[in-house]
Amino acid sequence: MRDEQLTTVNAVPGASGVIDSADAVVTVRGLSKHYGDFVALDRLTFTLTAGTITGFLGPNGAGKTTTLRLLLGLAEPTAGEALVFGRRYRDLEQPTGMVGAVLESGDFDPGRSGRNHLRMLALATGIPYERAEELLNLVELGRAADRPVRTYSLGMRQRLGLAAALLGDPELLLLDEPANGLDPAGVHWLRGFLQQLAAGGRTILISSHVLAEVAQTVHSALIITSGRLAGQVQLDQLEDGARSLEAAYLELTGTMS
Amino acid sequence: MSHLVRSELLKQRTTRTTLLLLVWMTALILLVTLLHVLSLSSAHISSLDGQLKVVGWGTGIGALFAALLGAMSITSEFRHGTIRPTLLASPRRERVIAAKLLAGALTSLLVGLLAEALTAGIEAAGLAARGIHIHLGAADYLQLLAGGAAAAALFAAIGVGIGAVVRQQIGAVVGLCVWLLLIETTLIGNIPSAGKYAPGAAAGAIAGAIQTQSASQLVAPVLGVVLLVAYAAIAAAAGTLATTRRDVA
Ligand SMILES: Nc1ncnc2c1ncn2[C@@H]1O[C@H](COP(=O)(O)OP(=O)(O)OP(=O)(O)O)[C@@H](O)[C@H]1O
Ligand SMILES: [Mg+2]
Repeated sequence: MRDEQLTTVNAVPGASGVIDSADAVVTVRGLSKHYGDFVALDRLTFTLTAGTITGFLGPNGAGKTTTLRLLLGLAEPTAGEALVFGRRYRDLEQPTGMVGAVLESGDFDPGRSGRNHLRMLALATGIPYERAEELLNLVELGRAADRPVRTYSLGMRQRLGLAAALLGDPELLLLDEPANGLDPAGVHWLRGFLQQLAAGGRTILISSHVLAEVAQTVHSALIITSGRLAGQVQLDQLEDGARSLEAAYLELTGTMS
Repeated sequence: MSHLVRSELLKQRTTRTTLLLLVWMTALILLVTLLHVLSLSSAHISSLDGQLKVVGWGTGIGALFAALLGAMSITSEFRHGTIRPTLLASPRRERVIAAKLLAGALTSLLVGLLAEALTAGIEAAGLAARGIHIHLGAADYLQLLAGGAAAAALFAAIGVGIGAVVRQQIGAVVGLCVWLLLIETTLIGNIPSAGKYAPGAAAGAIAGAIQTQSASQLVAPVLGVVLLVAYAAIAAAAGTLATTRRDVA
């Protein structure tokens, strides 16, 4: 496991084209997911290399969350594969030490406190309680930690979800609209924090609808529509950051008016 | 594995569901036992058989709440979505189910014990107040407590299995209540030759009594254990299969 992390950390950030799947942190290949007759994902293919922050963009219902669920082993693909570190999530020995995820749904028992939410996850993976305390401080939830999650604001839940994702100090973060509900200071903090993580060799996939925010955070953006890859945009090749990302998005998703 | 069981025990302690279940169980036992002890004619309640039938409510109610505890340990995860972080922390789903079975059974030993002790205590107090002699001896009480605890633990496993198959909280809760309180009592009342092999009746056989039934209508305690273990194993297997095979939304 160590060796694998070292090689992925040294991979060229943002490298495109053909990538040896041993170096790919995320490998999505011919991934399809059907619900009855409905095709949620249609032969989606992309890879992510270590140390990159990638935006995951697309209209409502495009299949972003579905892709993340398949990568995390919560659902089974109809066809194709969704691998992290070259393996299926469930085959990782220490999954929380390798992959952390924030799903858009905010999955908490409303009666349980934030601290106990982190503790039950820490216990399940053999992570010491001190790590949970560390994260409560990091996401600035220390003072609310003993209150039931029911009393948390949207942004506080988002922070708690982020803390849960970071428990195992993962190499890869899969974030589904993590900035949703964060206040401006929180968004600013998250951006800096993610950039710092990526600089340290971590890989981040972040789905969002806020293009201006994405443009400031990511190296490249994957754009999908109707379960298919519409295109990939390298941010450093765009002339005018946010504005041209929006133009590229509208053109690729065919929603330009 | 022990990590996962400890995580499940922490979940039980840190959700209001557990406390609410215990409060409701205590209230129900209080109501039902008092109602029977105070309202039954002394002809009914002066015999050992009559006294066992009343104290047997502890077995039935204990088994029901143990099953509810087991079922809700999984349906509440689906309801609130915590099943997702749970499965991310432990993607081997059969292990999560196994941990829930163990944690549910452990806690339900206490649930069963509490249910039987409450019922027996209230009955004894009620009989004493009415000046009726208590025929239950130490051996009866011992079987009631030990058997009731064991039956509740096995019923928790049944609950986990059913919860994992049904996933939906209301469905599982209503289903378990209807089965244990309605269908089983009707079954054993009308077709005792078949009804005595049902899970609730098997629990009664282990503990020596279940509501409105005493040992004479039930199978032998050992057969009761065999039956209930078999039911628990089937439910656990079905729950594991349903959890490993299906997507989590
Ligand atoms: N369990 C399911 N059963 C049926 N259809 C589903 C299921 N899960 C997802 N879908 C459908 O798959 C499509 C993709 O959904 P998904 O949640 O991945 O979209 P998304 O890109 O995350 O959208 P959003 O930006 O709104 O979050 C949607 O049309 C959705 O209705
Ligand atoms: Mg989504």
